[in-house]
Amino acid sequence: MKQRRTGTYEQGDDSYMKKWKTSLLSASVALTVVLAGCGGNNGSAEPSGGGEQGSGKKNITLTYMASQGWIKDSEMELAKKFEAETGIKIDYQIVPADQYFNVLKTKLNAGEGPDIFGGQSGYSEITMNYNVEKNAVDLSDQEWVKREDPLSIEQLTVDGKVYALTIWDTYSSFVVAYNKKLFGELGIEVPKTYEELKQAAETIKAAGVTPIYEPIADGWHHVMWFSEPGPNYDKLEPNLYADLNENKKKFADSQAMLDSLTQLKEMYDLGFFGDNSLSDTGSDTAAKLGSGEFAMSLSAQSLAVELADDYGFELDDIGFFPIPLTDNQIYYIHPGGPSKFIYSGSKYIDEAKQYFNFLTKQENLQFMLDNDPTISNLNFPGLENKYTAEQQKLFENYSERGTDLQNFVTYVNPQWMDIGKDIVAMLAADMKPLDVLKSIDQRREEMAKVAQDPNWK
Amino acid sequence: MNRSVYPFYFGLAALIVYSIFFVLPGVMGIFYSFTNWNSYSDEIRFIGFDNLAKIFSGEGRYLGFIYNTLVFTVSTVILKTALGLFFAMLLNDGIRAKGFHRVMLFMPSIVPMLVVGLIFKSILNPATGLLNESLRMIGLEVLTQKWLTDLGWAFKSIIAVDVWKGVGYIMIILLAGLQSIDKTYYEAAEIDGSNFWQKLIHITLPLIVPALVVTTVLNLLHGLKVFEAVYVLTNGGPGYATDVMYTAIFKEFSTGNYGMGTALSSVLFVVMTVIGYFVVRLMSREGDER
Repeated sequence: MKQRRTGTYEQGDDSYMKKWKTSLLSASVALTVVLAGCGGNNGSAEPSGGGEQGSGKKNITLTYMASQGWIKDSEMELAKKFEAETGIKIDYQIVPADQYFNVLKTKLNAGEGPDIFGGQSGYSEITMNYNVEKNAVDLSDQEWVKREDPLSIEQLTVDGKVYALTIWDTYSSFVVAYNKKLFGELGIEVPKTYEELKQAAETIKAAGVTPIYEPIADGWHHVMWFSEPGPNYDKLEPNLYADLNENKKKFADSQAMLDSLTQLKEMYDLGFFGDNSLSDTGSDTAAKLGSGEFAMSLSAQSLAVELADDYGFELDDIGFFPIPLTDNQIYYIHPGGPSKFIYSGSKYIDEAKQYFNFLTKQENLQFMLDNDPTISNLNFPGLENKYTAEQQKLFENYSERGTDLQNFVTYVNPQWMDIGKDIVAMLAADMKPLDVLKSIDQRREEMAKVAQDPNWK
Repeated sequence: MNRSVYPFYFGLAALIVYSIFFVLPGVMGIFYSFTNWNSYSDEIRFIGFDNLAKIFSGEGRYLGFIYNTLVFTVSTVILKTALGLFFAMLLNDGIRAKGFHRVMLFMPSIVPMLVVGLIFKSILNPATGLLNESLRMIGLEVLTQKWLTDLGWAFKSIIAVDVWKGVGYIMIILLAGLQSIDKTYYEAAEIDGSNFWQKLIHITLPLIVPALVVTTVLNLLHGLKVFEAVYVLTNGGPGYATDVMYTAIFKEFSTGNYGMGTALSSVLFVVMTVIGYFVVRLMSREGDER
């Protein structure tokens, strides 16, 4: 059960902390670049192909490089079956998460990519960081493309071409988890608007409980309050997402975003996060809710399992609702996730495609789902999920779906930690909400310029 | 040169290694500071002084980072020197268990800054930290602060932690200076009836100037290069209130703006070279007088 928790946080990490992880090595980036020529060979000295084409079964080894946590044990078991069936062996090269993007980019730039490589999703990510049009194989004609969740497919599409396969639990977003017993005792209904959230928090505060545990010290977590209600901003200001991507609108032009930040600031000023939130860290979330000191927290849905395991809660003592800033009622999802790309320079493109076809067989997807504690559903239809009753309720109550900000709007994910700093400055009254938006615009412009984005010319 | 015992090519191997691994990257760094080198495109474009203009134009927060670095440097130089001298004089004589006290004061210097930072991060935690808990326990709740997250306190806390860690090292150097002073000066001064301050100003300080120059240089360079203390304790926060040059450089590199990162380090390089030059000249003049 512990594993489930780790897995889900990792997913969160992967989505939000990408840049952060990459950053850890960046201090030595100058050196890395200087040594790129030699560095490219590290870890893949062996040739990607296993040798002669034997009779009957092929005798081929595919190298598959990915970041830690991206390849589930159940997939490795499937790979063994695949090898037994076809003779194609998969050689996994797992790289520690903090180094992965440096290693991958170095290899791709040096023209020595592995046969299959893992990567994150999103338009700006795959074009800017992996240059998929040059480095990855177009997979649009594959059969599984028709079955995979179209929202996931969209994340891996450039100019109408699909470049990667995503097999991931994309539906379990971070939502506000709340203590149902406490809500019941105080007679609080699940808030549907910001005003209701405010009322609820005031009632909770008056009862001597701190309303929301918000680990701002982590630097990335509090940014979700701003980014997750993204689809609601797009609803309030139609076509906002597209206009932002085409540079027809700036963040600073959006009243909805300004309102959202202003509301976040108000919550902070009213003491809803307690007076220690700037020093609080995410690893204490379960303990803080478990002790009854706090009533709510924006967290992974596996928090309920954790509380049930370690703090004597029942699974259905914890309920969920999406962040109601700007009165958001849309259940936001990150349709992307760690994905599998085939390297365009690989000698075994067909075999790699064969592997993807094997993985996406219905029975194999179900096998993965059944045999991995960190997965409760996958982004393919017709699978039997493992949702808890409260999760089911969440999905039923919030049927409207949308993609969160960072997975749709370009140049947001790469500046995640910077936005985090801006928001802290805003909470500390060192910056105004509008300045935070302007600062995001400025960094987007810088990134767009270096990426030579035609919309910013 | 004429008096040298060995021909110059004996040093060639060392010179080549030094040039390749130190001089060349340094020069390349300065070259890159005039480009838009970044992680998002393969092409490196020469953009002249754009990066530098951006640093000094006041847009962005670069001037704030420079200001913070200078505040940090000046305050740590003053505090470490004053406290270091104070402790050195205390421990020079007239105290029991001198050796023990010296070791205790020197101890923080041998602990890595990252470790010190992590320890202090927990000590300074507003809710659960040792400092605030102690203050509460003795009834001084009014003095409790959000040491690392309050705009008015965060930078002061960082300076305090850095001084705590660095003062022992400075003390040892000054102690060595103090011990080289002949006791007869003080005896003569006492006979003449001079008090503590007169002895300090007219005997002690002039005679430990060489040691003070050394500690000042060390403190200056340490202050300008500060990174870990800020990185571990606040990571520049809250917001950007405690960011310094090196945390800014680190951030530029991690976001892939290598050109801007090298531009910032080049600025720092120039500042440090200029300061270093004057300080070395000052020191060598001291040496000549002797």
